[in-house]
Amino acid sequence: MSQARSYDAIIAGGGHNGLTAGAYLARAGLSVLVVERSDIVGGAAVSRELEPGWTYSNCSYVCSLLRPEVARDLDLARHGLQVIPYTGGASFTKGGEYFAYHHDQRALEREIARLSPRDVEGYERFARAVTRQCRFVRPLLLRSAPDPASFHPRDLGELLFLLRRLHDLGEREMGEAVRFWTASVGDFLDGFIEHPLIKAHLAGSGIIGTGLGVYSPGTAYVLLHHYMGDLDGAIGAWGFARGGMGAVSAALAGALRAAGGEIRVNAEVERILVKDGAAAGVVLKGGEEIRAPLVASNMDAKRTFLGCVEPGALPDDFLDAVRRFRIRGSSAKLNIALDGPPVFPAVKGEAPFLSGDLHASESLLELEAAYDDWKEGRFSAAPYFDMLIPSRIDPTMAPPGAHMASIFVQYAPYDLARDGVRDPAHWDEAAREGLKAAVLDKIEAVSPGFRGLIRHSELRAPVDIEREVGLSEGNIFQGELTFDQLLFNRPVPGWARHRSPLPGLWLVGSSAHPGGGVMAAAGANAAREILRDMKRGGRDEAAFRAA
Amino acid sequence: MAERLKAAVIGAGVNGLVAAAALARGGCEVTVIERGAAPGGMMALGLFARGPHPAALEALGLKPGALGPAIPTVALCPSGRHVLVEGAEARFADGSAHPGAERWRVLSRRLDRFAAALAPLLTGAPPPMRLRAEGLPGLLRFALRLRLLGARDMRELLRIGLSNAADLAADALPEGPLAGLLAFDSVLGSRAGPMAPGTVVPLLLRRAPLRRMEGLAARLAAASEGKGARLRLGAGAARILFEDDRAHGVLLDDGERVEADLVLSSLGAAQTLALAGPALFDIEAQRRIGAIRAQGAAARVDLDFAAPPRLPGLDPAHHGARLVLAPSVQAVEPAYDPVKYGRLPALPVMEGRIDGARLSLTVQCVPHDAPRDRIVAATLAALETVAPGLGGEVRHAGALSPADIEAMTGAPGGHWHHGEIALDQFLTLRPANGMARHAMGPPGLFLCGAGAHPGGDVTGLPGLNGARAALEAMR
Ligand SMILES: Cc1cc2nc3c(=O)[nH]c(=O)nc-3n(C[C@H](O)[C@H](O)[C@H](O)COP(=O)(O)OP(=O)(O)OC[C@H]3O[C@@H](n4cnc5c(N)ncnc54)[C@H](O)[C@@H]3O)c2cc1C
Ligand SMILES: Cc1cc2nc3c(=O)[nH]c(=O)nc-3n(C[C@H](O)[C@H](O)[C@H](O)COP(=O)(O)OP(=O)(O)OC[C@H]3O[C@@H](n4cnc5c(N)ncnc54)[C@H](O)[C@@H]3O)c2cc1C
Repeated sequence: MSQARSYDAIIAGGGHNGLTAGAYLARAGLSVLVVERSDIVGGAAVSRELEPGWTYSNCSYVCSLLRPEVARDLDLARHGLQVIPYTGGASFTKGGEYFAYHHDQRALEREIARLSPRDVEGYERFARAVTRQCRFVRPLLLRSAPDPASFHPRDLGELLFLLRRLHDLGEREMGEAVRFWTASVGDFLDGFIEHPLIKAHLAGSGIIGTGLGVYSPGTAYVLLHHYMGDLDGAIGAWGFARGGMGAVSAALAGALRAAGGEIRVNAEVERILVKDGAAAGVVLKGGEEIRAPLVASNMDAKRTFLGCVEPGALPDDFLDAVRRFRIRGSSAKLNIALDGPPVFPAVKGEAPFLSGDLHASESLLELEAAYDDWKEGRFSAAPYFDMLIPSRIDPTMAPPGAHMASIFVQYAPYDLARDGVRDPAHWDEAAREGLKAAVLDKIEAVSPGFRGLIRHSELRAPVDIEREVGLSEGNIFQGELTFDQLLFNRPVPGWARHRSPLPGLWLVGSSAHPGGGVMAAAGANAAREILRDMKRGGRDEAAFRAA
Repeated sequence: MAERLKAAVIGAGVNGLVAAAALARGGCEVTVIERGAAPGGMMALGLFARGPHPAALEALGLKPGALGPAIPTVALCPSGRHVLVEGAEARFADGSAHPGAERWRVLSRRLDRFAAALAPLLTGAPPPMRLRAEGLPGLLRFALRLRLLGARDMRELLRIGLSNAADLAADALPEGPLAGLLAFDSVLGSRAGPMAPGTVVPLLLRRAPLRRMEGLAARLAAASEGKGARLRLGAGAARILFEDDRAHGVLLDDGERVEADLVLSSLGAAQTLALAGPALFDIEAQRRIGAIRAQGAAARVDLDFAAPPRLPGLDPAHHGARLVLAPSVQAVEPAYDPVKYGRLPALPVMEGRIDGARLSLTVQCVPHDAPRDRIVAATLAALETVAPGLGGEVRHAGALSPADIEAMTGAPGGHWHHGEIALDQFLTLRPANGMARHAMGPPGLFLCGAGAHPGGDVTGLPGLNGARAALEAMR
């Protein structure tokens, strides 16, 4: 057997956050190895060709949350990342009506006025409120969350920073901020807008990936989480990574390699090595040991601490807290290769907003009912979907004339109920076909002939996402984004700073603050904490401070 | 010396009565204006009271001991193995040990500690949004008590306070009647299911022992009068009067004018705004008041039998206990879902009490204007799960929907708390952002009802806090 190799740091899992953390560590001069279970890096940010000529962004599909600071630091553009913004979206009704969303303010006002003149002013207030809250929250994303129970000067410092920012908002806005963080997206929208279709269109961002309904408290924050993107300075703007989401991961991998880091794919971590009460490396499936005094796990909190650390190495109360961390599967993905462009008869001719996110949910109550199904262990009979056809603006996604549809579906439970028993094994072929039919029925109702265009399709139930990406229960954020699991509570109260009770074992994925999405924030924050711990701050530290 | 300050309190529910007593004690000449023929407001609908809070009792000059004995809860189970709960102690109703008893005890003690830490936030103004003098002492005491909990408990409180009752139950208790009881108490009176984030908060507000509600309204009214408050029954407030843009008195339905330097309203913020007229409120304040969620979902049902009804497994000795029919978390959550779409659940959850041949119940979750016969039918369907055949023995049944309750008491939406208790309508955001310190709009006008901080139940705290804010403002 070859001698066990050793590195300064091993990143267990090559998701986009692992790659980000690895790149920062490599740039700080550490020898870094990323070990990834799958045959490609990227985790939930990958591109694959399942039908020759078509590129699928199998999991995540739109890009905007990616922190611009990270893209700049790691020079992702030079490593090939190109984000193409799209400028709108639409929600259709069965009755042939639609609401088109435009990033252009004027066009949007005209469109709202077309449906509901009274909502023009309400929407303006809504947009202002969201913008203000985004401005407030965004700087927190790349900072560590303070532990309010700690007297450590850094915690006190971060707490003070948070309180000062709150205070700077002014009394009224501070109240609004707290309200925003605690309200449901439905109640929040009800306070601004009357037209059901406009509300339904806007509410979707509050439930994507979340085991909550539009009327569950906390979903207004989830909406905010999705509005955090800023492409070209426009808040809430979204875009496509040219070549699919794998392009983000490829650029991060490029940055990592350029800094001297190594990547091994098809290398599944079976166990984290523990020596003398500290992490000492990893054991791969097959038995190979790789040594490093620092192991940074990109796997979610449950997989890391409950799955990969030998019993006894972590304190019981910590493990209990990890067990309590909620990681619920609630989303499915339907990827479709289309032989031609889908047609929406409600829209005459060509419209740029068809290149954006398309939906067919007509009211908040319809969305709420979709959630009730999930609560009881069924996939939604009338699911919410978020459909994008990136091939309309990115010709690399499908052959000429053909298209690719990326359809995110909410809600689908992880453990499907059957005869009162809930079990992920219930996701058999019939269940999958059932969910697919529920989605396609809704699409067909607003885009007749859609089914006829399907050349190949792939449905990913939560179990599939879990199996393929390693996300527990298929939860897209590596843990619910409810407010009891944000900031200092993420993933476990007292351990929000990427550390764990096992010295040398760190958490760099979305289970950590500030949570999921292709944001690269958790990875970047973790790298900063690690370097600070090693007193190797240097340039990157300064860059963070400036950000 | 100047004349005594005059204060008018609108509404003689628990909070109006406590506010009046506190104002009288503060030196005011107080008139309580009550539309109904008797004081008490929604207390007449309640079966059990955990209050009033000791601070409110003190304002009334009553001793905590005077409230009568605490009563136990029996968590009913369709299997007939009901669970008897007395505070932190739980056992089967037949006296045998319950396998979840130790976990119930641990959880109860933990919630008690957390509630004690929270207490300073409830008995005064809610924490200020800016560092200002008024709310600061409460906030500092809260911060201190939080620290005194120790890092572990403090972290746990900050987590579960933002979490939901269903998860709390799942982590701490075996699924069944005990978990169901916890879930039930987390949403009783609310329009929410235990899976909704924020539902742990009501649990922390409901730690005091339960007592029967009977006679409490009359005693509180007598105590308030004893402190010098004058009760003016049988005529409602028609308008709040202003002079030079400050509150000046109340015009009654019967044309009488009650002059006052301070007007305290125990009605909802929207109802108070309607009495005051919109002219003195800015558009943003009106909008926020309009957006307060107050749709009641609790109904009152009374069932009369020829003889005391028998529930299998329930010892008649426990007829006076609080009976809770919420056999599991799994039963409480779906009882909430249909109400979102204006429908009654097939099996609502409820609490009740047997008095002789009458079974009185508070039933959750009932749509605002559900027909009475349908409420009764759904209630009986649920009761049949623990007492098959009970429905056939009912001689007479009466029900009050939230709409009926609204018509009777004027409570916004007939809501138990005059406004949903949720994190975005709690503390500094109750009843709405900018109004939590009880002052509402023009000088001299204050809120003192369940819709104000810290919310409903028979605590008297909104009344006490409202009166304190009013007295403070006159200094
Ligand atoms: C269907 C779906 C759609 C989404 N859509 C969007 C979107 O449009 N926009 C957006 O911003 N976000 C979206 N997200 C969320 C986003 O993709 C994720 O939150 C994010 O990619 C998580 O990144 P991560 O690096 O933290 O973790 P992951 O991507 O989960 O990375 C973890 C990595 O660890 C590897 N791994 C697991 N176990 C082992 C092991 N034992 N040994 C070695 N390696 C292991 C995995 O293979 C994986 O590569 C979506 C997610 C899903 C599932
Ligand atoms: C069905 C039901 C059961 C309940 N059971 C319990 C229970 O068991 N235990 C518990 O702790 N809580 C219970 N509650 C909640 C509790 O009763 C209330 O939270 C509490 O009584 C509110 O007190 P209040 O003084 O703020 O308001 P209210 O009791 O509503 O008092 C307001 C008063 O104002 C009067 N009024 C209205 N309009 C006018 C006007 N224009 N002019 C003059 N007067 C007016 C009304 O007649 C009323 O007397 C229950 C509520 C309901 C709906």
